[in-house]
Amino acid sequence: MLTHIISFAAASTGVGAGLGIGIGGGLGALGAGVGIGILFAAVIQAVARQPEMRDEITQIQWLGFALTEACFFYGLVAGLISYVLK
Amino acid sequence: MTKTKTPMSKTKKLLYSIGGVYVLGIVLLVVIFGFGHKNNTFQIQNEFQLINWVHLGVFSINRAVVYLFLAAVLTVVTTVWIANRMQQRPNKVQTAVEVLFSLMRDNITRGNMDNAMAAKWFPFLGALFLFIWFSNLIGYIPLPTNSGETFNVFGAHIPDFALYAATANISVPLVLALVVFIAFNWQGVRTQGPIGYVKSLLPGGVHGPMAIFIGGLEIVSTFMRLISLTIRLFANILAGHLIILFMAGGLAVILGLSFLGWFTLPIGVLIYLFELGLVATLQAFIFATLAAIYLGGAVTHH
Repeated sequence: MLTHIISFAAASTGVGAGLGIGIGGGLGALGAGVGIGILFAAVIQAVARQPEMRDEITQIQWLGFALTEACFFYGLVAGLISYVLK
Repeated sequence: MTKTKTPMSKTKKLLYSIGGVYVLGIVLLVVIFGFGHKNNTFQIQNEFQLINWVHLGVFSINRAVVYLFLAAVLTVVTTVWIANRMQQRPNKVQTAVEVLFSLMRDNITRGNMDNAMAAKWFPFLGALFLFIWFSNLIGYIPLPTNSGETFNVFGAHIPDFALYAATANISVPLVLALVVFIAFNWQGVRTQGPIGYVKSLLPGGVHGPMAIFIGGLEIVSTFMRLISLTIRLFANILAGHLIILFMAGGLAVILGLSFLGWFTLPIGVLIYLFELGLVATLQAFIFATLAAIYLGGAVTHH
C-alpha cells in the first residue's frame, strides 16, 4: 500500500528520474560503506594479532577494498540507467 | 595573575592564514556576485563527447582513439627502453621496475595459477596491467582535446584543455573484459574439453533440481564476470572524473553560485590526488588480478 502511494506520487510529479539516481547511489553507498568498514576492521584485528603478517594482509586488503567499492558503482550505474530510461 | 603567552608557531600561523583567506574568499564572492540563477546550457556530457577529427567511418579518429594510441605507445616505449638499459647493479628506476615486475609476475600471475600456466599467461597479464595503468594515469593530465569548445591563440583555434581518460568510455573496459572473458573460457574448454568445462560449473555433491538451479546460477555468474569487470573499471574512472569536474567548478556553473566554486575547490583537489594516487593503480591491479583468478579457476575441477 505504501509502495503504491510512493510510486503514484513519484509518477504524478515526475520525480522518478532523480529518485532513481538518488536511491541507486544512496543504497549503494550504504552497502559499500558497511562492507569497507567491516573489511578494515578485520585488517586491523589481524595486524594486531600478528604484526609480522602486515604486508601480506595489506595486499589482501586492497583487493577486498576494490571489490567492495565496485558494488557501490553497480548501484550508481543502475541509478544512471533508470535516469536515462526515465 | 597574568599568564605568559608563548608566540604562535609557524605552522599554526600558516594554517590560520590559509583558513582566513578561504573564508574571506567565500564572503567576498557572496557579497560581490550574490546568488545567481540556474544555468541550463551547461551540459556535463559535453566534457565526455567524442568528436571525429579524421572521418574514416567506424575507424574515425577522435580523442579516445588518440588516448588509446598514447597509452599503447607509452607502454611499449617505456618497457622496451628500460629493458635495454638493465645493469647488474640496479639504479633507482630499475629497482622500481623490478618491484613492478615482481608484482606482476609473483603476485598477480603466480599467486593465482600454477607455474607452467603462469609462464604462458604472464605476458598477457603484464601487458593488460600496464596498458590499463597507463591509460588511467594519462587521464589525469589536462590535454587539449575537447574540440567542442576552442580558444583563440594568435588566430589558431586550439581545442580546450580537458581531463579525459580512454577508460571513461564504456567501450574500452568492455573490450578488455571481453578479451579476458574469451581467454578464460577458451582456456577452460582447452584444458577440460567443452563438456568437462560446463560440468565443472556444476557443484559436486548435489543432485536433482538443486543441481540444475545451482548450475544455472553458476552459468549466470560466469557471464556476470564479464559485466562486473567492465562496470568496475568504467564506473570508477568515470565517477572520479565527474566528481573532479563538479567540484572544480561544474556545480558552481550549473547552480550559478560563484562562492560555491571557491568552496568546493579544495575538495576537488583532494579527490584529484586520491584518484591519481590510488584509484588509477588499484583499478589496473584489480582488473589484472581478477583476470588471473578467472584464468586459474578455469582449469580447476570442482
